[in-house]
Amino acid sequence: MARSAAAPPEDPALKDRFEREVLPILPNLYGAALRLTRNPQDAEDLVQETFLRAYRGFAGFQEGTNLRAWMYRILTNTFINTYRKKQREPITVQDDDIEDWYLYDRLGGTTVEASAESEVLEKLPDEDVQRALEALPEGFRMAVLLADVEGFSYKEIAEIMDIPIGTVMSRLHRGRKALQKALWETVRERGLVTD
Amino acid sequence: MSPTDCEHVLRQIELYLDGELVGFERVQIERHLGGCDPCTGHADFQRKLKDVLRAKCGCNDVPPELLERVRSMLGSPHPHP
Repeated sequence: MARSAAAPPEDPALKDRFEREVLPILPNLYGAALRLTRNPQDAEDLVQETFLRAYRGFAGFQEGTNLRAWMYRILTNTFINTYRKKQREPITVQDDDIEDWYLYDRLGGTTVEASAESEVLEKLPDEDVQRALEALPEGFRMAVLLADVEGFSYKEIAEIMDIPIGTVMSRLHRGRKALQKALWETVRERGLVTD
Repeated sequence: MSPTDCEHVLRQIELYLDGELVGFERVQIERHLGGCDPCTGHADFQRKLKDVLRAKCGCNDVPPELLERVRSMLGSPHPHP
């Protein structure tokens, strides 16, 4: 990927602040980049490009703006502009046949070893849950990632993804339903439930 | 607890768990959950689903070479293209 040189903040205090406040969220950004690109090499490049762009724009960063949300907005935009072109995938979820409480109803209706339905989910290997999330179409995956993994509010997600709040809500609801179906399939494949 | 109450609460549960309900709306849901085991079961499950996602899809170990790339970018006034 072509990289332009960063024009770092000239003010040393600004540079210190960038290192102090932005560097600690590197693990979160890398995790998000992995979920988005589904590829460690692309994820590394995406994170580096995000840091470059953020560093270059940091002098213009408005005090009082949410720094985490600002970083995720840069990550999201960089992903859309650079990596999405490579990927061809469905843009929406097929959730017409997935009712609300899909997973809860199924786990409740099976012989589950653990006492609580939810304990089955904890037994799933991390990679299985990551794969289920990564299988969601991009717009839905981003919304669920930002809400459930990163804990952003609807308003912040709307700003990061540049979509209306109503769209955020719909993508979360439909994305979570599709995710429940994928997790149910994984739970069965793993033999964690018996029909 | 009337079925309508439960329907309403289950429709609002995502908003509630996402921290998007405030004031009276939030209190209303909490009051209902306090006295309704089935709705509490649903809410607990949905909350657990969020917890599992955060725990299993959150921080991945950052490869040392990525940390090095980012650090050298910050440390160098003119990073190499």
